[in-house]
Amino acid sequence: MSSVPILEIENLRTYFYAKSKQAFIRAVDGVDLQISRGETLGLVGESGSGKSITALSIMGLITAEPGVISGKIEFKTDGIQTNLLQDLENYAQVKGRDGQVMEVRKDCAGWQKHVERVMEKIRGKEISMIFQNPRSSLNPFIPIGKQVTEALLLNSGIKTRREAKAQALYWLEQVKIDSPRLRFDSYPYGLSGGMCQRAMIAMALASEPSLLIADEPTTGLDATIQSKIVGLLQELKWTFNVTTMLISHDIEIIKRLSDSAAVMYGGTVMEYGSVRDVLVVDLESKHPYTAALLASIPSERHIKEKAYLQSIEGDVLDTINTPEGCRFYARCNRVTDGIREKCQYHEPDLREISPGHYLRCWLYFD
Amino acid sequence: MRRYSQVSRHVLDYSDLPFWKKSAPMELVYVVYGLLVVTLVVASYILGAAHLLPHDPQEMNLQLLMAPPGTAGHLLGTDFVGRDILSRLIVGIQAYFLPGLLAIGIALTLGTLFGVLAGYYGGRIDTAITYVANLIDSFPRLVLILLMVAALKPDIYYIMLVVGLTKVPVLLSLIKGKIQFLKQKNFIEAAIAMGLKSRVIILKHILWYNCRTVLIIQATVGMAEAILIETSLSYLGFGVQEPTPSWGNMVQAGANYLMQGNFWPSTAPALAILITIMGFHLLGDGLNNILEGKRI
Repeated sequence: MSSVPILEIENLRTYFYAKSKQAFIRAVDGVDLQISRGETLGLVGESGSGKSITALSIMGLITAEPGVISGKIEFKTDGIQTNLLQDLENYAQVKGRDGQVMEVRKDCAGWQKHVERVMEKIRGKEISMIFQNPRSSLNPFIPIGKQVTEALLLNSGIKTRREAKAQALYWLEQVKIDSPRLRFDSYPYGLSGGMCQRAMIAMALASEPSLLIADEPTTGLDATIQSKIVGLLQELKWTFNVTTMLISHDIEIIKRLSDSAAVMYGGTVMEYGSVRDVLVVDLESKHPYTAALLASIPSERHIKEKAYLQSIEGDVLDTINTPEGCRFYARCNRVTDGIREKCQYHEPDLREISPGHYLRCWLYFD
Repeated sequence: MRRYSQVSRHVLDYSDLPFWKKSAPMELVYVVYGLLVVTLVVASYILGAAHLLPHDPQEMNLQLLMAPPGTAGHLLGTDFVGRDILSRLIVGIQAYFLPGLLAIGIALTLGTLFGVLAGYYGGRIDTAITYVANLIDSFPRLVLILLMVAALKPDIYYIMLVVGLTKVPVLLSLIKGKIQFLKQKNFIEAAIAMGLKSRVIILKHILWYNCRTVLIIQATVGMAEAILIETSLSYLGFGVQEPTPSWGNMVQAGANYLMQGNFWPSTAPALAILITIMGFHLLGDGLNNILEGKRI
């Protein structure tokens, strides 16, 4: 794994305000992540753990208020080195008590304008995004070929329509759309979900971005198409060596495609490291949440040991009333009496327990 | 029986085909007919404005009252005071052409503008705009027109202003509904993520690709509607006043002589109305189907 980071997220907080409850929804609450050049980072977690919001925060697509309130997203490529959230402190003032945010003042309209300015050179050109539900991510009234052509004209150096069309056909071929010349003029409603996702991937890759964010690219597709799309992503990863942030709740997909993985829970990263450390080797050296997640999906181990699948007791974290201590405390089955006090009242920080393997659990801290 | 034939030995790229090969023959007929009518109307408008007419439309020829069509010098005959019907038909276009354009211009621009504001931005803007639109919509159009005529004067421009303004809510709600529907799909979000500016998204992706059907149909139907309103008001005596010719008051003036067997003074303008309105409707329909690439 090369260690030149292309994207560094530090303490990202994206909050929403629930008017009826007069409280903040802590969708993303202190995320720290790193993506190195050429690697694929898998982001796993339950629904509502803040994976998609993290991705949307990077792209500056959060429209609900107050949105991103603090943090740093350092983006470094050959040409550009910027903090995507630069000058955020000029727009948002955060007041907290006991380490919890209690009041936010934010000039949302001003911030939105500022984001547009900062992201102008980055969206589509440096960072591309693939959305879940491909059918609705394409304009229903424009043939897919035309949409790929538009992406090319907008984000790559190509100026003439003819050249862009040839290039679009090349990309449609790269994403394995059969007879691309014929499909060039098909409307999204005339294609299957898998085909639409391929077209989306072509559009995202066409500008040869430095970073590709794939937000659950296989959701809404049936199992066979899913595995084909995963195979395609794997192939594209080898061919173009594009840095990818892959969001999925399917651990198998993350295992197949990623180099490193981050497990998210309740808006923050619980465990981060190489895929081997986080998702593959024995359950004993992992965060209890990761271990519970792995125990809840069928695997080779379950078959060999004839073990039952385990569910994680309790509910997903209430992101409005976040507990004082560890977020996973209420559902954790590995709390020992020695650390119970700490787990309940003190939130652990993300610490490196072995080289490149970060955890947020008192069990592993001395 | 239907024939299926390949365009050539080699399969061409569909997008490289010219549009007349992509569309059904019937649609082309519609569009050609519509375009013909529109050209005729525009040409006649220009002729009328430049006074390049076979006869002065006000000139009475008392030797030739009620001449039938085909009389030497009067292609469509003369009316009950001996005025040339063809010249009066051509000048009659003056009565609705510019006012009609004004009406659809007002309806399209205001409707689109407020529709986009209400649909794309939503929230309080939407509430305010919808409220005003409902207010306008709840007034019967004819009453408004008659009020206008009574309060000011029976000027066709004032009437068309009212027609245009009362059409705004219709267009507004169509555009707004369309945009609200489109916003549920996340292709707008995807387009922003691709780096498109919101100006481009609104104008190109939403208005042009997704709303042009609505706009074209509303424009052509609106023009037809404007003609119909002008002629019916003139027929009733509220619109264009004699001796200025308008198709409506020509039908009305000729109707008195219909029973005596002199049908052409009112039939000629009535046919003109029919052909023109049909032309506008078919143009809108055909253009819509060609643009949407509907393959029948």
